[in-house]
Amino acid sequence: MRLKRKKLKLKRRERLIDIYEERLFKILFLFRLPLLMLHSVMTIGTLGYMILSDGDFINSLYMTVITVGTIGYGEVVKGSDTLIGRVFTTFLALGGIGVFTTSVTILIKIFFQENFVGTFIAWKMLKDIEKLRGHYIIAGFNRTSIELINLLRKRRISFVVVDNRKDVEKQMKELGIRYYILEETYKRAVLDAAGIYRAKGMVVNLGDDTRNIAVIVTARLMRPNKEDFFIFSFASTTETAQKLEDLGANKAIVPHRLLATRLAAYIFHTSSAYISDLFDRIAFGEETDIDIREVPIPEDSPLVGKKLKDIDLRRSLNVTVIAIRKPDGKLNVTITGDTEIEAGDTLILFGSPKNLRKSEKFLLKQLEVKA
Amino acid sequence: MRLRKILTHFFILMALTTNISFIMSPNPYELVITISMNLFATILKMGEGRILSNELMASSLVADLHLIPAGFIYFLGDKNEAVGLAIGALAANIISIVLGIIETVLATFVEED
Repeated sequence: MRLKRKKLKLKRRERLIDIYEERLFKILFLFRLPLLMLHSVMTIGTLGYMILSDGDFINSLYMTVITVGTIGYGEVVKGSDTLIGRVFTTFLALGGIGVFTTSVTILIKIFFQENFVGTFIAWKMLKDIEKLRGHYIIAGFNRTSIELINLLRKRRISFVVVDNRKDVEKQMKELGIRYYILEETYKRAVLDAAGIYRAKGMVVNLGDDTRNIAVIVTARLMRPNKEDFFIFSFASTTETAQKLEDLGANKAIVPHRLLATRLAAYIFHTSSAYISDLFDRIAFGEETDIDIREVPIPEDSPLVGKKLKDIDLRRSLNVTVIAIRKPDGKLNVTITGDTEIEAGDTLILFGSPKNLRKSEKFLLKQLEVKA
Repeated sequence: MRLRKILTHFFILMALTTNISFIMSPNPYELVITISMNLFATILKMGEGRILSNELMASSLVADLHLIPAGFIYFLGDKNEAVGLAIGALAANIISIVLGIIETVLATFVEED
């Protein structure tokens, strides 16, 4: 029994939410002494005046408050204007005023110095993050992250920002970022708190290759399957990008290379700038009304052997098949209604994101029906 | 022997005993002492990160929320209603004591481990 309990103890992961909860308890613990001091004075004062006034509780409590709070409206309780009453008030005022001011000062000091509200908000945020599913974790907060956040918002994809710099909190709040964690990104407990086990992917953008590596390795150790959990990272050079991909990133991007490629695309397609720009915007997720999606057709699909006009996605779901990628990787762009779907083909669909999702479900349903 | 633990358990017990004495012979002094003891017990339970601390704190708050209104009702004239509320607080205080015993036993097991 004891051995089992010990094993359970060892298996239990250190959770960030527990650390924050402990911090909250510690702050609450600090409140105890001043509150006890204050409560003792109030009890002594109230009971004393009650004895003097023959059990008048409410007025006794009031008299104690106005005495220790240095308000002093007068002798409002019966018996407090007698000799014994005045002696009692003198001692209560002498001891009580000091205790009252000290306690209140300590309470205010603890409240602000220990950042009680901030810790509580962070704890509440971690609780809310626990409810997220299929979100993205953005490690590192900078200008690129802000742009990315705006694009994710357009697609209604939820995200959690993780950064260890406390000074970025104000900017995050101004941008209306709902979920963020201000802790070291490479720690397992932090990634766990960001919901790595429920997340769809992660963007690592810490502005430094070494730190990016630390986070990618930790994340990949926690989520080893590259098909289940996507890690996208930034790298300073092409060689580093390759290393990051070997270490676990699904894709490592070299920013200046990416920019150069995009600029080159504009230079090469000056005569068809609109289409080039449109495809670019779709690819980069800036176009929220139109999207492109790939739907692979497995060998046992009932769609194999059917003609495109038979499934007629254009009429039924307002989605156009613009090309078919063959199993050998070649792209067939000269498709017609009579083009036959072959096993291993990948249909490239063009349409609104909503209709694309519907068509994907429809094509998947065909397979399920067959099964 | 830990002074903090002695102090906490002392006030938890005092809250229970004074609560019973108020129910048995309702008088204003007993009621004020009961309220005061319960508040002491609540303050002492604040920020305790022990096994059943949350449950202990909750039971203490329940007792306070029965006794404070009981205090006002009693001094406004309705003594029966105040005693009724004090009985409610008594139930919470008994639960508090039981939880305290369970917590002590569990803590002993953990310390042994």
